[in-house]
Parts: sequence; structure tokens; C-alpha cells
Amino acid sequence: MATLLTFAAAFAFAPAANWQLTDKYSVRFTGTGDVGGIFKTMKGTIAFDDKDLAGSNFVLAIDVASINTGNGLMNTHAKSAEWFDAGKYPQIKFTSKKIVKSGANYLVTGDMEIHGVKKEMILPFSFQNKGTTATFNSTFTINRSDFHVGKPGGDVGESIKLEIMVPVKK
Amino acid sequence: MFKRLLLLGFLSGILAGIAALIYQKVYSTSVGADFSNIAKPVGIMISSTIGCLIAAVGYWLLYKMLKDRTEIVFNFIFVILSFASIIPAIGAKLPLDVNSPELFPGLVIPMHFFPALAFFTLEPLFIKISEKTKSVVA
Repeated sequence: MATLLTFAAAFAFAPAANWQLTDKYSVRFTGTGDVGGIFKTMKGTIAFDDKDLAGSNFVLAIDVASINTGNGLMNTHAKSAEWFDAGKYPQIKFTSKKIVKSGANYLVTGDMEIHGVKKEMILPFSFQNKGTTATFNSTFTINRSDFHVGKPGGDVGESIKLEIMVPVKK
Repeated sequence: MFKRLLLLGFLSGILAGIAALIYQKVYSTSVGADFSNIAKPVGIMISSTIGCLIAAVGYWLLYKMLKDRTEIVFNFIFVILSFASIIPAIGAKLPLDVNSPELFPGLVIPMHFFPALAFFTLEPLFIKISEKTKSVVA
């Protein structure tokens, strides 16, 4: 009986499965007009189990200097103090606090930190489990002025759409 | 005259294209950035040749209007247009999987001046300057 209880307790407190990011991830952003590009470097830790959402969590960090808009001048401009200020704020971070099921997908509540401004956000994401590999997908919109990225107005719209695809493996 | 100018345009286009390809090779070797999938050798040769052929036609049209003042006006216009043509090169958006797009203007901007340089280099071989007026060598 004691053995059974010990085993049950251990199982109950088992952490959600840890997933490792593969290098096939994609972080793409688009805005109005000519705005668009990718961030090429991201790292983080993902512990996710669709049967144990309370024990699941994400910590993701995107390297701001890895931005690529396809144009050298635009890249330099995006990394400058007027926009992301990559020298002072080298990372975009997201740290999850709560994950809940939402239909076939999930909603993660967490702190998004961009340009030194931390803001709580709720992001939708999907999870496709293929056993030892899986893929997380998330598409959401942020308001760049909420994070003091760039000056309000101008040619770049306030809303920036992000599409994130993260293949993972155990 | 028109045929000679077309020959000048064609040969100077080929010369500009060859110079651009040599420059591309030197550039990619020295900075380690290869843009040959974007600035393709065939495209460089064709655009250089077409550019110089258009310049030749432009020279002919100017000669019809300006006669002895053709060269100074033509050279001025050709250089201005060469400068203007670098603006799209600076603003070009490359595919997102291409690394170091900031090095792309350094490759293509000099190339935009090669047609004018080649045209100016070969022009004396095709056009004889007399004491007062300029006429094409017969």
C-alpha cells in the first residue's frame, strides 16, 4: 500500500513533458505596407503536457539582433534606439503563467517583454503531438506602441501580426 | 551611324557585364556573402547589354537634336541615370532566407556604373571627334 501511495504521489507531481526546440522554428512578423520579416534566433524551454496544463510552462526568448526584414537599411533601423534598441534590450521574452484549454487549442497567459516593457498577454496556440515530436503554432497581434517600439503613427502601422511555429522534440 | 552606335552599345554592354561578373566574384570572395542567386550572372549580362543598347539609342536621338553638343549632354544624362538607378538597389528587399542583406548594396551599386564606364571607354573607338563637330567614323 505504501509503495502504491508513493508511486501515485510521484506520478501526481511528475512535471509536464520537457520539449526541446529544433532549429526549424519560424518567427515571422507582418504589418501594414512594406513591413515584414523574421527573427532568426530564438531559444527557450518548453514543458508542456496537454493532460497537465497546470504543470506546463513556456519561457521563450527571441534575439532582437537576429531580425531580418530582407533589407540591410531596414534591419539597421529596426535595431536602432528608435525601434527595438537591440543594444539595450537584446531580447524579446515571453514567460507563461497559466495555460488553459480553449476548444481544440489553448490559451497561454504570460508576461511579454519587448523593448524593456513588460505586459501581460493572452496568446492562442495549437499543439500537434506526433509522439516524440510535436509542433506549436501561434498567431497573434501586438500593438507596438504598447511596448514603445517606434514612434506612434508614420508608415508602420500600430498592429504587428506575429506568426510563430515551433517544432519540438523530446 | 545608328548601326555603329548599336555595335558600341552591344560591345560596351558585354564589357560592363564581364566587369560586373569579375567584381561579383571578387566581392563574394572577400566579404563571404554570396548573392549569385539574386544577382544572377545571366541577368547581369542581359541587363548590362540592354542598358548600353538603350544608351546607344539615346545617344543617336540626342545627336539628331544637338549635334556637336551631344557628348556633354549625353554623358551628363547617363551619369545621372546611373546614380538614380542605385536607389532601387538600396531599397531592395531580399528573400528572408538570405543572410546579411546589408552587404547587397555594396555588390550591386558599383555594377550600376559599369555600363556608363564601359560606354565611355569604348566610345572613342567608334566616334571620331573633329575640330568643330562630332561625327561617326565612316
